[in-house]
Amino acid sequence: MKNQYFLSLLILIGLSSCYRTLSSEGGGQGDIRTDSRPVNGADIELPSGYTVEAVATGLTFPTGLTFDEQGRAYVIEAGYAYGEVFLEPKLLRLDQGGGLTQVAAGQKNGPWTGVVFHNGNFYVSEGGQMEGGKILRITPDGALSTIAEGMPSLGDHHTDALAVGSDGFIYFGQGTATNSAVVGTDNADFGWLKRFPDYHDVPCDDITLTGQNFTTDSPLPDNPGKKSTGAYSPYGTPTTIGQVIKGRVPCSGAVMRVPLEGGKPELVAWGFRNPFGIAFAPDGKLYVTDNSYDERGSRPVWGTGDYLWQVQSGTWYGWPDYSGGLAFDGEKFGKPGGVAPKPLLARHPNKPPRPTATLGVHSSSNGMDFSRGDSFGYQGQAFIAQFGDMAPNAGKVLDPVGFKVVRVDVSNGIITDFAVNKGKENGPASKLKHGGLERPMAVKFSPDGQSLYIVDFGVMQMTEQGPAPQQKTGVVWKVSRNNN
Amino acid sequence: MRLRYTLLLFGLLFTVACGTAKRGEPTYAPIPTSEPAIAQGEVVFNTYCQPCHPGGETGLGPAINDKPAPGFVIRFQIRNGLGAMPAFKKEVISPEKLDDLLAYIKAQRKAKKVKAS
Repeated sequence: MKNQYFLSLLILIGLSSCYRTLSSEGGGQGDIRTDSRPVNGADIELPSGYTVEAVATGLTFPTGLTFDEQGRAYVIEAGYAYGEVFLEPKLLRLDQGGGLTQVAAGQKNGPWTGVVFHNGNFYVSEGGQMEGGKILRITPDGALSTIAEGMPSLGDHHTDALAVGSDGFIYFGQGTATNSAVVGTDNADFGWLKRFPDYHDVPCDDITLTGQNFTTDSPLPDNPGKKSTGAYSPYGTPTTIGQVIKGRVPCSGAVMRVPLEGGKPELVAWGFRNPFGIAFAPDGKLYVTDNSYDERGSRPVWGTGDYLWQVQSGTWYGWPDYSGGLAFDGEKFGKPGGVAPKPLLARHPNKPPRPTATLGVHSSSNGMDFSRGDSFGYQGQAFIAQFGDMAPNAGKVLDPVGFKVVRVDVSNGIITDFAVNKGKENGPASKLKHGGLERPMAVKFSPDGQSLYIVDFGVMQMTEQGPAPQQKTGVVWKVSRNNN
Repeated sequence: MRLRYTLLLFGLLFTVACGTAKRGEPTYAPIPTSEPAIAQGEVVFNTYCQPCHPGGETGLGPAINDKPAPGFVIRFQIRNGLGAMPAFKKEVISPEKLDDLLAYIKAQRKAKKVKAS
């Protein structure tokens, strides 16, 4: 019996492999191919009976796709990418044979994060890195108009993808300004803190703080020295116990809606971090994907998966004091050997629900859509594009996480890979050195339900200077089910 | 002699990572979940294990699918945690659910690396 315990101990030591001593091996790290983007569907594994082909290549930061009433596909180029790359966002039509025709171009206020075609017009989420987030209407001949604006998007995350409900409203996500509600040096690394030194998260309703503050060396040349910063406050502004922060709409980390004809945003639900993907299931229920906490900044949070949530109107989902329905209690979600986060809010609006599914840590689970019929299969399941980890900036991983498309049975939360790169290990094609998937950003079923389009953002290397996205490496893939 | 076997096993643990940890669709045939315990265990796996070991592969934590640890060792690690891995007490994963989880993990490890036709 003693030998059995000795053996157990020995095996456990072997299995632990000492996480703290291992280096991060994220999908954008190491030897990444950036000089070319070969494209080869044969390098992508799919379930038996499905095939994949590239239908557009050479795109710069594509993020979303939709179809008009004639079934023609349109793709948006974001016009902004992490790494502080500012370009002109574009709406492009995919022509037969792989050509692209520009329909419209926007201002340098990207990233454009989502597009839908509805009743003769396109509706686009404008991320708003420079002027704040907007919802745009674009006519088929390319005329742009703003139907909602003023979304708090100057920080880490932006105004996210959108979906049109049967009630005639546009539903969209809004990301938070920070990782976990405290502005810090990590936000200077993103680039925006030097542009907007007073910017911070905005709650959707009045909140009362516990008064925690976090001290850092200022990254702002005009305001040097040690700075103490509290939650929902500008950098260098401490808070006190019991301090009330007034809420307002539009706000950070929320799902909101506006009428198709435009107007003031209304709150649907809040307490999300970055609800990037959004879609209505065949039964009419609304779901979002939520990029969860990173291990960075003044209040790092460790080991939280991305989430798929069913959105219930009027509910608070837990950010910045819960993850996946579990409370920050000063013990959970701390980096090994680090400090675990404690609550920032003295009172919580409600006990957050549990997620529909918990996806891979740092997988950056983004755009989603539902299979609606038997023609493609997996009817009623959610398909989710996983952009892939941004390690080490977002946190350490031992191997690449994401870089694929998964499907989720929303009745039980079971996640199954659908489209992954061939190879012994997981990762983007630029790391595996073949022509498969790079960073899937969005998925969209064709109107007839027979094909799944995958919007592949392209190559993003992670360097010591931060993300290095590569222009003209984006691809649109089309997955079809064989008829035989 | 016993020490030699122990060291041999210990060395094996560090060398098993030579093969792929991929299992199930889309690379291979689906994991067989016809047994209720395995089917229930898949739900438990997706709730608690999937975030750090996506599909049983390496992520935030090491791969599970290609580690030849015996069942009692896996149970011990789940209940007590190890290194960066938190402990999952019976209030979180009940004894019945732990049995189901073990059934699924074993099915996942043993899944044949053959593509479905």
